[in-house]
Amino acid sequence: MKTFQSLVVCGLLVGATIGCKKEPLDNLTDAESRIYITDHDSTVNFNTFKTFSISDSVALIENGKAQHQLNDADAAYIQAVKDVMQSNGYIEVNKDDDPDLGITVNRIISTSTGVISYGSYWDNYDVYWDPYYWGYPGYGYYLPYSYAVYQIREGAVSVDMVDLKNAPENNKLKVVWTGLIRGSGIYNASVAESQVKALFDQSPYLKTE
Amino acid sequence: MKKSLIISIFFLLGMGLTAHAQESKVNLNINYNYSFPVSHFNSDLVSNASSRGFTGNLMYELNPKLSVGLGVGYQDYYQKYPRQNYKLGQSQEVSAVLSNSIQMVPVMARIAYEPLGSSDSRVQPYISLAAGANFVNNDQYLGQFGSGNTSTGFRGAAGLGAKIPLGKTSRWGIDAGGTYDYAPYTKFGYKDLNTVNVHGGLYVGLK
Repeated sequence: MKTFQSLVVCGLLVGATIGCKKEPLDNLTDAESRIYITDHDSTVNFNTFKTFSISDSVALIENGKAQHQLNDADAAYIQAVKDVMQSNGYIEVNKDDDPDLGITVNRIISTSTGVISYGSYWDNYDVYWDPYYWGYPGYGYYLPYSYAVYQIREGAVSVDMVDLKNAPENNKLKVVWTGLIRGSGIYNASVAESQVKALFDQSPYLKTE
Repeated sequence: MKKSLIISIFFLLGMGLTAHAQESKVNLNINYNYSFPVSHFNSDLVSNASSRGFTGNLMYELNPKLSVGLGVGYQDYYQKYPRQNYKLGQSQEVSAVLSNSIQMVPVMARIAYEPLGSSDSRVQPYISLAAGANFVNNDQYLGQFGSGNTSTGFRGAAGLGAKIPLGKTSRWGIDAGGTYDYAPYTKFGYKDLNTVNVHGGLYVGLK
């Protein structure tokens, strides 16, 4: 009887401890794993901008340095941004034709240390995109809002929007909108459109007439 | 729910057996525990009931009606909320599937009173009170990105149930019942982790 009792008690313990914790990450699909973060200068009326230009390549950012590339996924992200901007009323122009907004697409990947802080991303932004690219050599980028502090480990895609229309008046390149996509399976041409759409869907103010 | 059904059947079968008052001074019981978040825990963090838990009590019999001891437990709570936008600061927004994952380990002093303890009744109802510490691990995930916090707080519980000895000479039997657990929790603006719990399991006389 004692053996039986011990077996029952052991069985209960084992039964109770099996599946003790429902692991949140095991219960997420790739789509559910992704987060979309946007921020903008709330003093800006995006209706005052009419034209935009987008970079013709993607900055691949690692360890505070960037190299520019254009693979299928890069091209898909650039095209997706073009499409959603045009559907929101903006007109695409060449960057030499005085666009109101300059847009960059960036891929931030994990570093040798495994961590990039988003703060250092902005600290080095002029390294990734020389202000000369937009025709404003010597200007500095300016982020008029503070971003939540977090670290990027697994990689991310960012889309940033710079106010070129008022750059001479401001004497700086003000970043008026930023979007960041993080999560599993984001750097893939087949999902680029839906990822960019998600960013813009949560930014309904980003429209012009 | 299936586990609860099995325990309920086990409980009902046990009702038909001849029982004697327990003979041991020291009893250990191990229970499967099903937990329902209530109050602010339910409305602010997790509303899903949890089937992942157990409780255990080591009780010393002061007299046939009164016993004191130590109770421990474990329960895992989890809920995934559909994607929605969350405002962070004045102009920042995050769209994410939010998951809350909370584990609680109560360690409480416990006292139980069995009004029929000195009789030969085959069902021994009891009421219990417990108070002690509640060790809490609270992880929140935005998508796959999580942050966690561990803390310790107060926990008190009031319960009722019944013990059903099995067999004529046996020192073991079935224990089933429920508790209301009061657990204040003031981290991150939350208010409590109160729960209603239903348990079922076995007790064993050790001495």
